[in-house]
Amino acid sequence: MHILIESIGFGVASGAVLSLGAVGFTLQFGISNLLNVTYGALMSLGAFLGLFLLGLGLNIWLVMTLGGLLIGVTSVAFSRGLISPLTRRGLKPFSLVIVSVSAGIVLEYLIVAVAGPATQSYGNLSGTTLHFWDFTLTTSQVTILAIAVVLMLGLHLLLTRTQLGRAMRATSSNRTLAKSCGIATSRVSDIAWLISGTFCGMAGIALAITTESFDFTLGSLFLIPMIAAAVLGGVGQPYGAMVGGLVVGIVTEISAAYWNPAYESVIAFAILILMLLVRPRGLFGSGSARRLLA
Amino acid sequence: MRRSLVISLIGLASIAATCVSASAASSGLSAGPINVGVVAPFSGPAAEFGTLLSAPCIASTDLINKSGGILGHKLQCTSVDDTGDPADAVPNVTRAIGTISNFVMAEGLETNTAATTIPLLNGAHIPFVTAAGLTAYDKTKDKYFWRLTPADDANGAAMIAYAAQKNYKKVAVVFEDNSTDTGNVPGINKAAPKLGVKLAVNTTIPADATSYSSLAAKVIADHPQALVFDADPQTTATFLSNYSQLNNGKLPPMITATDSLTPDWYSAVSKAVGKAYIFHKVALVGSYFSQSTAAFTVYKNALLADPKTHGIANTLASVGPPASIYDGLNILALAMVMAKSAKGPVFNSDVIKVTQAHAGAVVVDSFAAGEKALAKGKRIQYVGVLGSVTFNQFHNFAGAFAADVFTGASTSRRSALISASEISKLLG
Repeated sequence: MHILIESIGFGVASGAVLSLGAVGFTLQFGISNLLNVTYGALMSLGAFLGLFLLGLGLNIWLVMTLGGLLIGVTSVAFSRGLISPLTRRGLKPFSLVIVSVSAGIVLEYLIVAVAGPATQSYGNLSGTTLHFWDFTLTTSQVTILAIAVVLMLGLHLLLTRTQLGRAMRATSSNRTLAKSCGIATSRVSDIAWLISGTFCGMAGIALAITTESFDFTLGSLFLIPMIAAAVLGGVGQPYGAMVGGLVVGIVTEISAAYWNPAYESVIAFAILILMLLVRPRGLFGSGSARRLLA
Repeated sequence: MRRSLVISLIGLASIAATCVSASAASSGLSAGPINVGVVAPFSGPAAEFGTLLSAPCIASTDLINKSGGILGHKLQCTSVDDTGDPADAVPNVTRAIGTISNFVMAEGLETNTAATTIPLLNGAHIPFVTAAGLTAYDKTKDKYFWRLTPADDANGAAMIAYAAQKNYKKVAVVFEDNSTDTGNVPGINKAAPKLGVKLAVNTTIPADATSYSSLAAKVIADHPQALVFDADPQTTATFLSNYSQLNNGKLPPMITATDSLTPDWYSAVSKAVGKAYIFHKVALVGSYFSQSTAAFTVYKNALLADPKTHGIANTLASVGPPASIYDGLNILALAMVMAKSAKGPVFNSDVIKVTQAHAGAVVVDSFAAGEKALAKGKRIQYVGVLGSVTFNQFHNFAGAFAADVFTGASTSRRSALISASEISKLLG
């Protein structure tokens, strides 16, 4: 029982980082309908930006905020400079996915060109180890967990209590109809890319803190479990992505504790497939009309 | 008169051209330098290996060129990027074989791609020296395959032998789930019961996961005296960090492979758990070679002399695989000189001849010395950085093992020795 509870604690900690990334990913998908594979490379860029900002002597949590915002701005530039023009030219969704894969590879190798291929580290920022009940977590893990909860609550309030949130949901449900209702869909889309990118950058930095060591492949390696979390929760569903992230994190840790850790991802993905067989739209998905809604 | 002079000149020119082409045909070389293919990852996450595996080629070819080259040709190292991924390795190596002129020998062929690149070079009759420890090649029939580095299972047995020397009765075995690292496990499993070492946890882990906390907790619960561990820098740093967090900052000693002796590994691990752990608790097990021989001095000086290798000379000089590549290339080059041919099928059969002990053979410890002796019509025995090399019928050679401890970012000092016969017994 002790091992089970302890593993759940580890799973919640790693799931919080997964959730941060998955929520940003699914939010952007909900608005743009694009499977943005560049997201992984942007996470890596976030981690390297964090390294640069940390080198300036800034506090790590300020670094996480600034780094997140910078990736948010980069995301908007990516959308405006590459995705939107190609969409206007009538590029098909599959071609856009290939464009995002290509852009991700280019970005990764730009990182290598500037920072080199060697493993990098922020140093040991884990802080004190806290023990309560059978859980064992570090102060940095608890802080990341708290940041994830606050950001997700903020996103919830934004989507449900503000004019902008309603505009985002309307754009996600039916872009043409939203536009004819007077919603500035381009601006709404930019804001969605900004928020999504900010979550992406923060997830990249959070990941670099928890793994203590990273290289330019950090985001790409994390992309598959993150997409799995988003799909598990229901693509386009931020709340689903939150829960999906936690489920993937917990299942992975429990399987590592009880079985061969080499198969932890296999078990997580097997559960994902089973879940989709039972609920094809994921845990929270219930049709395109309700995207970006719980 | 003028007409006969022209005819004579044409005649002389024809004879000269015939002689040149006949010489080229017999040596198997066209104009230009001899290319030594360095088949290794030069891009992607494993790109560091490309740099590390190029260095012994640079050292060897620098020295050979200083002696005037081979058969009148200078040598150059040519990168063949296998990216560390078989899917890229096959087209890239195939293209290199088809397009690079005077591509007559190769080195590198690291474990991740060896199973796909070895058949290509062997099929093209290009003799090569591999750094891959794959046990599948312990009994290979590939004629052009030459290996002076121990197989991975032997390395695993050496790790346990070192654990036994340190009197550890219970160790945890954790390896990254790739062919390079898990190749050690069969040797560990064979050696541990024979030496009375109990394996607490014996598992593989995926690379670059976000957390290894659950596994670390499981290992801690088993109270091992040491970790027998091998993984990439990022994975090692994350695992040790998780372990330390869950064990009140305490980490057991680690026994790992000499592959870990890279600046990247040192940097990642020292930032995660501190330099003190690396200096006091980490032992690196790999093939043994003496650092006090004349051959070693020549090798190290060559690494230090070239600006391309100067910065990593200390790392390389401490690790077995690059030294084995350096020796291997010298052996192939001397075989070429002995055979007076750069044709693979011709000089490949002389490889064993230049390493075999033989009555009256001149023992040489460098290419230059070997070439001089061969020019005088003497028989030679090359005894290089690794010492005397005795290839078995499968073109494999494995000597003794050593355990080293870190003394700096990329240097180490010898801590223990494990004989080849002991390893052989453990694997028998």
